[in-house]
Amino acid sequence: MAYKVLVVDDEAPVRDLFSDLLKKEKCSAKCVSSGEEALDAIDKEDFDIVLLDIKLIGMSGLEALKKIKEVKPDLIVIMITGFGYDEDLIAKSRDFGCSGYIGKNMPISQIISSFKLFAKTAKEKHK
Amino acid sequence: MNPFTQESEKLLFRLIDNATVLFLYFDVDGNVSVCNKKVEYITAKNKEDIIGQNWLNALYRDTNAAIKQQMFKAIMDDSIKYRRPNTFEGVISDSDNNERFIFWNITPMLTEAGELEGILLIGDDITELKESEATSKKIDETLKNIFSNIKEYALYVVNLDGNITYYGMGSEMMFGWQKNEIVFKHVSILYNQDDAKTKLPLILEQVRQYGQYETEINLVKKDGQSFPVILNVNQFLDREGTLTGYIFIAKDITERKKLEYQIFQTEKLAAIGQLAAGMAHEINNPLFVISGRVEVLLGQTRLARKVKEGLDIVNTQADRVRKLVDQLLKFSRKTSPKLETLNINDTIEGVLPLLSYHKLPSSTVNIEKDLDKDLPPIKGDLNQLQEVFVNLILNAHQSMPEGGRITIKTSNFQNLCAQIRISDTGHGISPQDIKNLFMPFFSTKQNGTGLGLSICYNIIKNHNGAIDVESQVDKGTTFIIKLPFA
Repeated sequence: MAYKVLVVDDEAPVRDLFSDLLKKEKCSAKCVSSGEEALDAIDKEDFDIVLLDIKLIGMSGLEALKKIKEVKPDLIVIMITGFGYDEDLIAKSRDFGCSGYIGKNMPISQIISSFKLFAKTAKEKHK
Repeated sequence: MNPFTQESEKLLFRLIDNATVLFLYFDVDGNVSVCNKKVEYITAKNKEDIIGQNWLNALYRDTNAAIKQQMFKAIMDDSIKYRRPNTFEGVISDSDNNERFIFWNITPMLTEAGELEGILLIGDDITELKESEATSKKIDETLKNIFSNIKEYALYVVNLDGNITYYGMGSEMMFGWQKNEIVFKHVSILYNQDDAKTKLPLILEQVRQYGQYETEINLVKKDGQSFPVILNVNQFLDREGTLTGYIFIAKDITERKKLEYQIFQTEKLAAIGQLAAGMAHEINNPLFVISGRVEVLLGQTRLARKVKEGLDIVNTQADRVRKLVDQLLKFSRKTSPKLETLNINDTIEGVLPLLSYHKLPSSTVNIEKDLDKDLPPIKGDLNQLQEVFVNLILNAHQSMPEGGRITIKTSNFQNLCAQIRISDTGHGISPQDIKNLFMPFFSTKQNGTGLGLSICYNIIKNHNGAIDVESQVDKGTTFIIKLPFA
């Protein structure tokens, strides 16, 4: 797989976990804790995928998504949330151009497989 | 000696002639020799046509009233034969062909020797009286009608000893007791034992002191069923103002209470929903970290067996919490249903294959369908409605560990909505549990989360529908869902 992933979440244990899980999947992960930091990071580095939490301190996840897509429309963004399956949030995220949606309430194995699926589909689309 | 002077005789005739009563005299052969103006007026005949005529022919113009004439004649014959006075209420058609009711006094006139000389007939026109009687009878009937149509109110009166002395129409309907079963019984028969001992004396005391009292209380029907009323009690005073008893007016508020309870339930559920959503989110983050960390650790090689076992347990338990939070999120799901036009029968048919994905008890349960083919479509969210039906059918299954029958019936409810009844022959739900049935975290099952039915409730509510339950312990339970037509 070997994607370069940017993880955006305001909780350190969540960030660290994503980092470890991604490493297990042979991906590299850089972690930041806010939308502002994320925008900064994509400006400096190239990433294949951004994992973006919807609930962030400061700039909201949806706002960050919108801004990332403005700067780098081709960058794959997958939203993560603790709210579970929320149709309103999914619809809004889609409108802003996110490629997928992962709930923290899903079993870990499913989170990993969803991540792989979204990433693969999005990559193929961009080619 | 004739006691009458010529003058007084003239006066007497004038008096008779102008009297407002009908005055008629005829001899033993029945031939009329005297009549006054009122007879002329009522019969619409002239004196000349009356005098010398048989009295019956004189009074009646036609033979339509033959039966009445026969009765009149029979009574007259009695007076003639036994020389005794009689009365008779007869009808005469007047000049305008209107019926006049005449109350006749029949007086046999006897000679000094006691021989029958003739018959004096004095008639009083009582038509107006009759009409007003008819009117008041009509009013009585109307009132009776009104009372019999009032189902929510009951009026009854109790004397100072507490015995029922008047038991109005609405009362029979409300309490189920017939008048003859309850009159003179003590009013406590309409109360449950505790209220009869404590509340009832207090109510009467208030009425004695303040004239009237109003309260909400439960009354009891003949069959023992308790129901809520607003009870208004007033003093019953006689003309002198002495207290002789109490007037009770009870209004059945069962329906209103039901509605209030539903509103209360809805608000409570909404509040719990908000709380649940907030909690679920807060739990999801740490839970994700716990499960994820276990996953990462389990992926490492060369784990001690004990450690691996421990991690597996953590995993299982975390999974349990995850499922609970999932349910919480579903329960609090605020997103409105994605409405499409659905045939409810097809929706139900589509549910049955889904059941195989769930762990069903091994008991033999037959599912019978009774679907109304002519049912108009409804507007609904297929996934959400299927979730409701799966939930209800699973519940039904679980209530029949020894096996039984599930009946799914659809029908048209008053051309307004589709009605779906899901019935089982299981162990039923106690009245106490029914009250809390749709409350989140309320479960009668050992391993239930108590969220299934509250989710169903929310989904149906979001469809502008209604869900209700009827149950009898050891007989079975029926869930009734109503969904408006598209």
